[in-house]
Amino acid sequence: MKTPLAIAIAAAFTASSAFAEEPKAGGTIDTIIQPEPPGLVLGMIQNAPTRTVAGNIYEGLLRYTTDLEPQPQLAESWEVSDDGRTWTFHLREDVTWHDGEPFTAEDVVFSADVFHRELNPSARAVLQHVEAIEATDDHTVVFTLEKPFGPFLISFEAGTFTMVPKHIYEGTEFRDNEANNHPIGTGPFKFDNWDRGTVIQLVKNEDYYEEDLPYLDGINWHIIPDGASRAVAYENGTVDVLPYGTVENFDIPRLTELDNTCVTEQGHEYFSPFAMLWMNNREGPTADKRFRQAVMYAMDREFARDVLWNGLGQVPLGAFGSNARFQNDDLEPYDHDPDRARELLDEMGYDGEEVRLLPLPYGETWTRWAEAVQQNLKEVGINVRTEATDVGGWNQRLGDWDYDLAFTYLYQYGDPALGISRTYLSSNIEKGSPWNNVEGYENERVDELFDQAATAFPDEEREALYHEVQEILQEDVPVGWLLELGFPTIYRCDVKNLVTSGVGVNDGFKDAWLDR
Amino acid sequence: MNFFARFAQNRGALVGLIILLAIILMAILAPLLFPESPWRMVQRPFLPPLETEGFPLGTDTMGRNVAAGLMHGAWVSLLIGLVSTTVALAIGVPLGAIAGYYGGLVDDALMRFTEFFQTIPNFALAIVLVAIMQPSITSIVLAIAIVSWPPVARLVRAEFMSLRHREYVEAARLVGQTNATIILRQILPNTLSPIIVLASLMVATAILLESALSFLGLGDPNVMSWGYMIGAARTVIRQAWWLSFFPGVAILLTVLALNLVGEGLDDALNPKLARERS
Amino acid sequence: MLYARLIVSRLFKAVIVLFMIIIFNFFLIQMAPGDPAAILAGEAGATDAEFLRQLTERFGLDQPLHVQLWRYVSGVAMLDFGFSYRQQVPVLDLILARLPATLLLTGTAFVLSLVLGIVAGSLAAARVKKPSGSLIMALALVFYATPLFWVALMAVVLFSVYLDWLPAYGMYTVGAGLEGFAFALDVGKHLILPATTLALFFMAIYTRMTRASMLEAAQQDFVKTARAKGLKNSVIQRRHILRNALLPIITLAGLQAGQMVGGAILTETVFAWPGIGRLMFEALQQRDYNLLLGIFFFSAALVIVFNIITDLVYRLADPRIKEAS
Repeated sequence: MKTPLAIAIAAAFTASSAFAEEPKAGGTIDTIIQPEPPGLVLGMIQNAPTRTVAGNIYEGLLRYTTDLEPQPQLAESWEVSDDGRTWTFHLREDVTWHDGEPFTAEDVVFSADVFHRELNPSARAVLQHVEAIEATDDHTVVFTLEKPFGPFLISFEAGTFTMVPKHIYEGTEFRDNEANNHPIGTGPFKFDNWDRGTVIQLVKNEDYYEEDLPYLDGINWHIIPDGASRAVAYENGTVDVLPYGTVENFDIPRLTELDNTCVTEQGHEYFSPFAMLWMNNREGPTADKRFRQAVMYAMDREFARDVLWNGLGQVPLGAFGSNARFQNDDLEPYDHDPDRARELLDEMGYDGEEVRLLPLPYGETWTRWAEAVQQNLKEVGINVRTEATDVGGWNQRLGDWDYDLAFTYLYQYGDPALGISRTYLSSNIEKGSPWNNVEGYENERVDELFDQAATAFPDEEREALYHEVQEILQEDVPVGWLLELGFPTIYRCDVKNLVTSGVGVNDGFKDAWLDR
Repeated sequence: MNFFARFAQNRGALVGLIILLAIILMAILAPLLFPESPWRMVQRPFLPPLETEGFPLGTDTMGRNVAAGLMHGAWVSLLIGLVSTTVALAIGVPLGAIAGYYGGLVDDALMRFTEFFQTIPNFALAIVLVAIMQPSITSIVLAIAIVSWPPVARLVRAEFMSLRHREYVEAARLVGQTNATIILRQILPNTLSPIIVLASLMVATAILLESALSFLGLGDPNVMSWGYMIGAARTVIRQAWWLSFFPGVAILLTVLALNLVGEGLDDALNPKLARERS
Repeated sequence: MLYARLIVSRLFKAVIVLFMIIIFNFFLIQMAPGDPAAILAGEAGATDAEFLRQLTERFGLDQPLHVQLWRYVSGVAMLDFGFSYRQQVPVLDLILARLPATLLLTGTAFVLSLVLGIVAGSLAAARVKKPSGSLIMALALVFYATPLFWVALMAVVLFSVYLDWLPAYGMYTVGAGLEGFAFALDVGKHLILPATTLALFFMAIYTRMTRASMLEAAQQDFVKTARAKGLKNSVIQRRHILRNALLPIITLAGLQAGQMVGGAILTETVFAWPGIGRLMFEALQQRDYNLLLGIFFFSAALVIVFNIITDLVYRLADPRIKEAS
């Protein structure tokens, strides 16, 4: 079942490309950032609100279409050697930092080799495959890899591989640098003012290197801590754009019915947030494969999507989302089948032992979802007790493996080697983090396949390996696959060209213009 | 005039008592009228009240029966109110009694301790306590008790101070009764009426506190309380007013009833004051 | 002279209480599950052991607890409240930036509730057996029994969404670039809803208290004397009864100050008022220890200042209390 909203979005997709209007320059956009970001120096801080605001201040070497095809940004062109190990990037020559200094290959080497190696875990995941980074001239950078690395070219998005100014950070204590309060990037907007608790203001970069861009004079990011108040801010016209996560899902249908209101699910292709249910593979009933399969059959995932997520998003087939590369379509799906779940529980001799369920403390929708899953599981005879935690408690409980079932969602980062394998590799089992192989799944064959696939070259070889691994995972159900989340951006229809890339929610305002 | 007649003279108190009894009745009847779990998703979500048979108050965001939630919630809210008040009394009464009875240094130390708790904003402390213990019925009850005992201690202390030099206390001391006996047998019974009045108000405040905690997302996820219902409905307050309206009214009526009953008790237990007042 | 000595002794006591609060809260917060490093790492969506180690070391969380406590307490003694882990700015800056908003909100609500409460209470006392008096008391009781956040939500729906009279949230209109009187007017408009909702509950308390103590004062001998002298009823009400009835209300008001700061957490959340109540809740969720401790320190200090002020007012209002205590 698709709700009217989902249909409306589908229609908007097809319609949007049909019109090519002449952009108008001018105007300031008011939008919301939730929660207030801890800081704006991308590369030093990688959380979602920082990415969303600072993605307009900073840039990466490349940009990606909504199909995750690489596009030129700070790099004009690039090439790879035949063995897949040497990547050469040619930079634009007309780029300056917001303080007027020229942007050069030295900045790239400093950002990647020094700044990110020290501060940025998501960049480190890629950099560990990089042997050397050299500037061969002022506008050419060469990356040499130890072995080919499948997702290498997908990693140059602004939030992951941010370009930071060498002349400001070199030789300083990065985190204590005064400039952190006034971020300097190369992007279409410059930092202007941050009135904590109230607003973050960016202004147009008059010297931006792409002709005519940006069209907007500035962006005001309002900070409003209460969900209902955020909805009111849109309704009474104070803000024009509601980025994902700013209003509760239950408010979305009502808001989208307002006049002059459009909505898009695009701009998350790079992240492809994937909701999962951790199941503790180590002990208790969840250690039994049949129990985990029973959970999959017991859950009504379509209900969750239609009622809790307004029909947005997609029920996944298995471990690889539909946006993921190398998805295997031939897997046996886990449909909602309570009888099958009861059979499996009987077969394993489940005795009604209590299992503890940890909801994700990220707001009402997640709480409601946990309530629905608890009810689904109770109906097939599983004795569930929900234990509420806040973010700190949730981190600690998962890091200590002190749970039976727990909600989470993870980003896919455009490639299985970055976003998917981390959940299943036994080398990724380590206490203290809620983001690794928390379920404690160990399978030698799976480890082998994931490792080979990450460095196989070219893509056809990777595909065969990934297809095999998906079959094993489908049978073992190390975790529950809940939903590929659809995060809608709600905006006034006269805000044009808002989402133009696969990370569009974070770098979208560059192309946006107001038809007023 | 007997106790009830004095109580009934206060019309408001009578109304309060009737409301309160009705709410208690709701709590008792809940499992009989709605034997199914109030968490069950039984109908289409967002059914407005009075439109579908069997769902007089409509359904919530996930198609759960609001009427069932309200009835089961009565039990939870009353329980939280009563238990946390009992715990608060268990802390406040002994502290206040000891401080008031012994006076001097003991009193000083205990009162500084009490003041200390009154200096930290109540609600802030409650939030921190629930966050530390993680939300559950137990942690909520404890947190409410911990922030609400100081007024009890102050009240009991004041009563003890005024009573400790009364003749009958001196007499008890002369016949050699121990301090513990004097506190428990002689003075405490005479302080009961103001304590009862205060307790009835504390139950009301506890219900309000629980709802405020739930509103901030610090409720127990396994029990359906009124506070939970409002907290869960606040994001949809615009499209489904009834979801927060009914539990809101339920809280209002309960707190109102408890206050009216408290006033009635006050009148009934302190006949002299009541006459002056009216 | 007397007041000076009194203030000094009260301040001395206050310092001790504040010191105790710091230590108490320090250990309290440590008991909360999870730590700021893990939360910040979690927000980043990706993390490795190296990242966690860097943060823990940077925050000084790798040190033994007593070292952390000593560092903190000796810092506070020098009015250094440390850095906010999450925001990476000095705690003092964050709090001082937010404090005026909270002072404005709670101060307005305090005055509003006290004035309206006393007026309503004395009206109710003067009309003790009339329906209008009962109506006032019934209203007060309803305000008292209604959850604060519920009133706030309803007020937003009614006055901002349907009637569009008042702004729904925030402290000033962003981007309007107002200055001087226009700015003050703008802030005032934003202040109406949060201050009124916060004041309602306390107003109800003061109304009931005023009425009760006025009725009690009316029974006193000096009132009878005044009546016997043939003074006008309104004069007696105002000069004799109200004046005497005020004392317990002032005491109560002082005690309520802490409650009001607590209530501000809810009000500031619903109305996006950029005060320290909201900051506190966020800091707690983030396990931003330094920030949370700093806010506790300031809000406790606020309560103490309120208490001292009411104490002084009490003494001014009733010259009979000299150094009785």
